[in-house]
Amino acid sequence: MQGGSSGIGYGLKYQARCISDVKADTDHTSFLTGTLSLREENEVHLIRLSSGGTELICEGLFSHPNEIWDLASCPFDQRIFSTVFSTGSLFDIDLPFYGLKMETGLIVFFAGEGESYGAAIWQIPELYGQLNSPQLERIASLDAHTRKINCVLWWPSGRHDKLISIDDENLFLWTLDCSKKTAQVQSKQTSGMLHYLSGGAWDPHDINAVATTCESSVQFWDLRTMKKTNAVERAHIRNANYDMKNNHILVTAEDESGIHIWDLRKPKSPVKELPGHTHWTWAVTCNPEYDGLILSAGTDSSVNLWLAPTSAEEDATSESIVESPAQQAGPLLNSYSDYEDSVYGLAWSSREPWTFASLSYDGRVVVESVKPFLSRK
Amino acid sequence: MGAEDNVPLDDKAKRMRDLLSSFYAPDPSTNNAPSNPGTLDAINTSSFDADQYMNLLIQKSNLDELLQRHVEMAAEIKNIDTDLQMLVYENYSKFISATDAIKRMKSDIVGMEANMEQLLDKIMSVQSKIQFIYDLPTRLGKCIESEAYVDAVKFYTGALPIFKAYGDSSFQDCKQASEEAISIIGKLFSDSESIQARTEAAVLLKQLDFPVDSLQVKLLEKLEQSLGDLQLKTDDIENASMESNDPKLGKVPDSVHITAHEGSIRGFAEAISAYRVIFPDSEGHLIKLAQDLVVKHFETVEQCVKGRFSCANLLVVLRTIWTDVLLMDEVLSEAVLPGFSLEAAQNALKQHVASTFNYLLHDISDALLRLNVSSKEAAEENPLQVALEASKKALLQGSMDVLLDFRQLLDDDLGLLVQLRDFVSDWVQEGFQDFFRALYDRFFLLSGRKSSSSQDQGLTAGAHGEKVLAGLVLVLSQLSVFIEQTAIPRITEEIAASFPGGGARVYENGPAFVPGVMCRIFRSAGERLLHHYINMRTQKVSTLLRKRFTTPNWVKHKEPREVHMFVDLFLQELKETTSEVKQILPQGLERKHRRSDSNGSTASSRSNQLRDDKTNRSNTHKARSQLLETHLAKLFKQKVEIFTKVERTQESVVTTAVKLCLKSLQEFVRLQTFNRSGFQQIQLDIQFLRTPLKETVEDEAAVDFLLDEVIVAASERCLDPIPLEPPILDRLIQAKLAKWKEKNPITP
Repeated sequence: MQGGSSGIGYGLKYQARCISDVKADTDHTSFLTGTLSLREENEVHLIRLSSGGTELICEGLFSHPNEIWDLASCPFDQRIFSTVFSTGSLFDIDLPFYGLKMETGLIVFFAGEGESYGAAIWQIPELYGQLNSPQLERIASLDAHTRKINCVLWWPSGRHDKLISIDDENLFLWTLDCSKKTAQVQSKQTSGMLHYLSGGAWDPHDINAVATTCESSVQFWDLRTMKKTNAVERAHIRNANYDMKNNHILVTAEDESGIHIWDLRKPKSPVKELPGHTHWTWAVTCNPEYDGLILSAGTDSSVNLWLAPTSAEEDATSESIVESPAQQAGPLLNSYSDYEDSVYGLAWSSREPWTFASLSYDGRVVVESVKPFLSRK
Repeated sequence: MGAEDNVPLDDKAKRMRDLLSSFYAPDPSTNNAPSNPGTLDAINTSSFDADQYMNLLIQKSNLDELLQRHVEMAAEIKNIDTDLQMLVYENYSKFISATDAIKRMKSDIVGMEANMEQLLDKIMSVQSKIQFIYDLPTRLGKCIESEAYVDAVKFYTGALPIFKAYGDSSFQDCKQASEEAISIIGKLFSDSESIQARTEAAVLLKQLDFPVDSLQVKLLEKLEQSLGDLQLKTDDIENASMESNDPKLGKVPDSVHITAHEGSIRGFAEAISAYRVIFPDSEGHLIKLAQDLVVKHFETVEQCVKGRFSCANLLVVLRTIWTDVLLMDEVLSEAVLPGFSLEAAQNALKQHVASTFNYLLHDISDALLRLNVSSKEAAEENPLQVALEASKKALLQGSMDVLLDFRQLLDDDLGLLVQLRDFVSDWVQEGFQDFFRALYDRFFLLSGRKSSSSQDQGLTAGAHGEKVLAGLVLVLSQLSVFIEQTAIPRITEEIAASFPGGGARVYENGPAFVPGVMCRIFRSAGERLLHHYINMRTQKVSTLLRKRFTTPNWVKHKEPREVHMFVDLFLQELKETTSEVKQILPQGLERKHRRSDSNGSTASSRSNQLRDDKTNRSNTHKARSQLLETHLAKLFKQKVEIFTKVERTQESVVTTAVKLCLKSLQEFVRLQTFNRSGFQQIQLDIQFLRTPLKETVEDEAAVDFLLDEVIVAASERCLDPIPLEPPILDRLIQAKLAKWKEKNPITP
């Protein structure tokens, strides 16, 4: 860490890609993160920001059977979260079988011919602090996938017994019953042959609307009919995030071309463009509290904090034609660049919305406060 | 003797008559037929000779007879006597009355002479008047023929009372004929070419007691029509400008046209003044007319100004207009034409400035877009360079021309322009400001960056057709730098020298042309476009890499047999980039220096580590130690700045592109899981890339680092990361090199 950084660090043992805010924990600012190691035993860390806000404490450490590609905390139960994982195929050289493999009560589904992907809902044991080696309890396996799974989505706004999982080709809607520990496919939709899905986002304002990203566009689905309702044609969208505060606003991150803010009522062209990162813009997330505050993480080993309110978009866009250079400098509040590797994980704390956690590939969690930049508003 | 009885009766009457007639006859002897003197009948003739008659009577007759004769004769004499007495009496009374009459006449005739004279005079004058009336139609005809309308009207008005008195009776024909002739004058309103003639005619018509109102309206209409003739014709102006553009022809046709125009405007002015004399209450109409003329003039100017129109030509036109205005102002100062036209000129000039800059913008776009065409034809060797030079020239030369052009407006002493001088100066500055802003927008439109940001811009970009060429973006970037560093300073200098009055008008937002702001805008534009260019170039590679890494099943990869072909495609892309960059970007200075400088420490630890890999490869321990080592290495070595600031040099741009591509390569690798063969394939491909990449880039250390990172990433994502044996690696690379040289024999 170089001087001047206000970030609080925390090191994971292995490389990692995903971090999630534990929204349901209203007493503490906590984050969940999972490692991505092909050959080691992977871990899930429950990290808590100390009450003074000066250090990150490992609240819980759980082993996870496979490397974690996606992790999402349940918005209404702090002990429940979902992961998407892959096993690789340890036996492709020695053993010519690709099938079902049993491992500590987990059913892994092999996708394709080599790599195996799975998704599951986990529960942290109740008294994990007092146990020596607490084990995660698998509530349910989202085991209907036959393709590479990309992500599992919870409805971000509150208690809802539905889950969405997205693989390369399909969108699944699950009914989750935590007490009975079951997850059942309620409906499923294939995106179409030519669209390889890469991820998605659930509209916090509309329980029936979900967006999926694929190579050439963002598609919007109505979960009641499982039909496409809309699409934004845009190539190479890596990540999409709904604005928590403003309806119809979606922020997307694209490999080379930065960040775009869309008003979904006008899907032809973005209402705003932000330059993004020097290399790919990997993740983007809107602040749950402050209007127009956007974080983006990039493979250029940096996290950028933007201020791009869309409420005043009308005059802002007309102005941007004239004063675009000034505008260019305007929206970027700060660039956090004290990372050693690409940053893939990014999460705002919903409890302390001026705080965010970032996770770089080398397994380093950094929690920062954006307070110094808020005062500028 | 019976016969003899009848004869004396006849004789008697005859004699009486003869007597009377002889009395009255002036020469009685001639009336009587000469009778033979030898007969007795001769007694009643004038040639009667008494002696001869006696002799004859005595000789021939006897006594009886003589006696008888005597009796007879005595009776005859008695008869005659009474006859004579009666005759005298009768004639006397007649004479008396005749004398009376003569007496009376004598007294009357004295006054009559004077009366007669009077009568004669009167008859004479009536005669001449009648003659005049009868001649009037022909005379009028002649007058009209010779265009002596004044005379014609004089004649006609002279004859008018007569026509009024007798027109319906005796002179009907003449009246009609005259009226027809005079009505020709009325027609002349529409036919006559000269306005004076028409005005005169109007005066005349007024004399002729034409209804004044209709006359006024009519004349106004005529004046309005004449406006049409007076209008400066766009064609004329364009012709004039064409001609004046041609130095050989000079200004002669121009000035001819102008003088002709001046003549007619003079006529118009005269007409106006005449009109005012005739209809004193018509000022309002006239003012409107005059203003209409000015408005029309300026409409024409604005029409012209929409096209390419030099200030010299504008000046000619404005001068004409100003002359017109001054002429009209003399006769119609109430119309405040100078002020009015000043306002109109202001607008026209503004428009002219706007359209001039618009054309300049067009020229530059054209110069740039020619790149699209020429690259399709692939005829030119250095299309980017050509396009850049062309657009530079279009910009600088165009701007200088514009300034020079507007300078003429300032230098001219035309009254109209003198008052607008400060405005012109400001407008030109404003024009440049707006021009550069527009140019800036145009750049981003052309580069495709803005195409999605707003709908209509998207449409225009769509009209441009297919995808934006990366080369064009590079040219735009260079052009932005040129604008920032050369064009704007030059223009600022020029403006400062030529348009000093600009500060006269105080702006609420400061001066009109702010070179500092513009420079900043274009500096940032240049950078953004350069980045955009690099992005476009790397995007292509990205697509290539995405395909390369998402298509195969890496977990089931077969043993590597040769370097994968994506490497060729990658290098090909790079070659294109290099060739584009070499056309228009300057060479970096410290190239070699930097290579040797930064080669040492950073890369060496990496290669050591790889060597370690080769020797020490037994189990999963190794992978872990490797990861640790990576972390340690990162801790201890200075951080390799991958994403340094791009400099505007060939090497820097290419290096940045390569770095971005390699970073993408690393990221793609990180998303996959490899088996041993897959890892080895990556190792092989990367190893092969090392040499050609180092040849092209400036920052060898960073590229080395990134290449290592790719291999590290692959090993991290590998289930069984055992590298290829160096000899095999070498052999495969040599094979590929041989193949490569075969394909590209010229490449060193």
